[in-house]
Amino acid sequence: MINKLMIAGLVGLMALPGAVSAGSAYHKQKVVYHINYDNPKQQTGAMRNIQNHINAVGRENLDLRVVMHGNGLSLVMYPDALDSVKKFKHANATEQMKATIDGLKDQGVAFNICANTLKGREVNYEEHLYNVDESDLVPSGVAELAHLQARGFTYLKP
Amino acid sequence: MNPNDELEVNAYIDGELSTDQQAELLEAMRQDPELARRACELNQMKAQLRLAYAEPPRPGTGAGGMVKASWRALAVSVLLLAVGMLGGWLLHANTIVSTPEPARFVMLDPDGRGQAPAIASDGETRIVFHLTNPDQTVAGELLDEVEDLLAAYEAGHRPLRVEVVSHSDGLDLLRERLSQHKVRIGELAERFDNLTFVACQNSIDRIKIEHGIEVKLVPDAELIDSGVDHVVKRQREGWSYIRV
Repeated sequence: MINKLMIAGLVGLMALPGAVSAGSAYHKQKVVYHINYDNPKQQTGAMRNIQNHINAVGRENLDLRVVMHGNGLSLVMYPDALDSVKKFKHANATEQMKATIDGLKDQGVAFNICANTLKGREVNYEEHLYNVDESDLVPSGVAELAHLQARGFTYLKP
Repeated sequence: MNPNDELEVNAYIDGELSTDQQAELLEAMRQDPELARRACELNQMKAQLRLAYAEPPRPGTGAGGMVKASWRALAVSVLLLAVGMLGGWLLHANTIVSTPEPARFVMLDPDGRGQAPAIASDGETRIVFHLTNPDQTVAGELLDEVEDLLAAYEAGHRPLRVEVVSHSDGLDLLRERLSQHKVRIGELAERFDNLTFVACQNSIDRIKIEHGIEVKLVPDAELIDSGVDHVVKRQREGWSYIRV
């Protein structure tokens, strides 16, 4: 995912040859969406916001991340995982949600998961979460949100 | 809230309503707390976006660029009607594009990812948590997170400052009679001198006006005039922002 993003970023830069020399460097938008709630409607709305954001700005102009922690992990949790994961009330990775997430990933959106939450709530990402691998994990969701903002990311919480 | 109300509220926030329409909407807000809360949320979002795009992306050069930019602005304003979110900013970006401001953030860890949290130029990480949710379970989870964060930084001898700004319905966390976490707040404030609990005076005043209640705060709460202004100010100063 990160490789894909970097490639997208490089391609984006190459597509703007005049921008730097003209002394008006084009600033690619860097945006992080924060999800720490488990309401499926709210999550679906957030995914729609992201798609609309891409449509408005263009995927080549965006470095867009989703950071999930706490209840927010429910976005990518298989519904039947609730049998074994006791510390969640909702698991919203339905077929439809999975398709939505795949679509956004194809457009370069990174979905990052808080490792503290995995540990604290006894979630096995390989077993309970849809399409998450090690490179998608961040040590702490909160610290990642702070870190990205320090790197110039705009924070949005739909 | 129905979609028409959402539209009205957005127009109101963008200053597009006539005096009569404004009066009508204000009256509706007085009678509908949900509408008033939504208006407050949208207003905050707008303040956030305006701040975030103080140095906006350039919409392109030449006539083609302008056409594209207005098309985008149009597309986004349509989106605004639908989600009430991303709207004001592109329109706004188009109007202030000629007056770029200096970058707000210091970039220290250009290729790191997740290893190092936000660090201000003086080496101190500063995070402001904005609580507007009355749910005390959510507030409890926030305190867990804040405690973990403070403990991790303390253990690593890394400088950190955390503020918890409680505002609107989130004020309950700091109300002497309503907070379910009074003892914990006292303990945390005692243990970490780099943690501050901040209460919004506007929210307190509103409770007095609407319900005739004199709000009493827990001893560790500090007062500021406006929660929204405060979180925006903090971000301008380079703090990271997390909406609880």
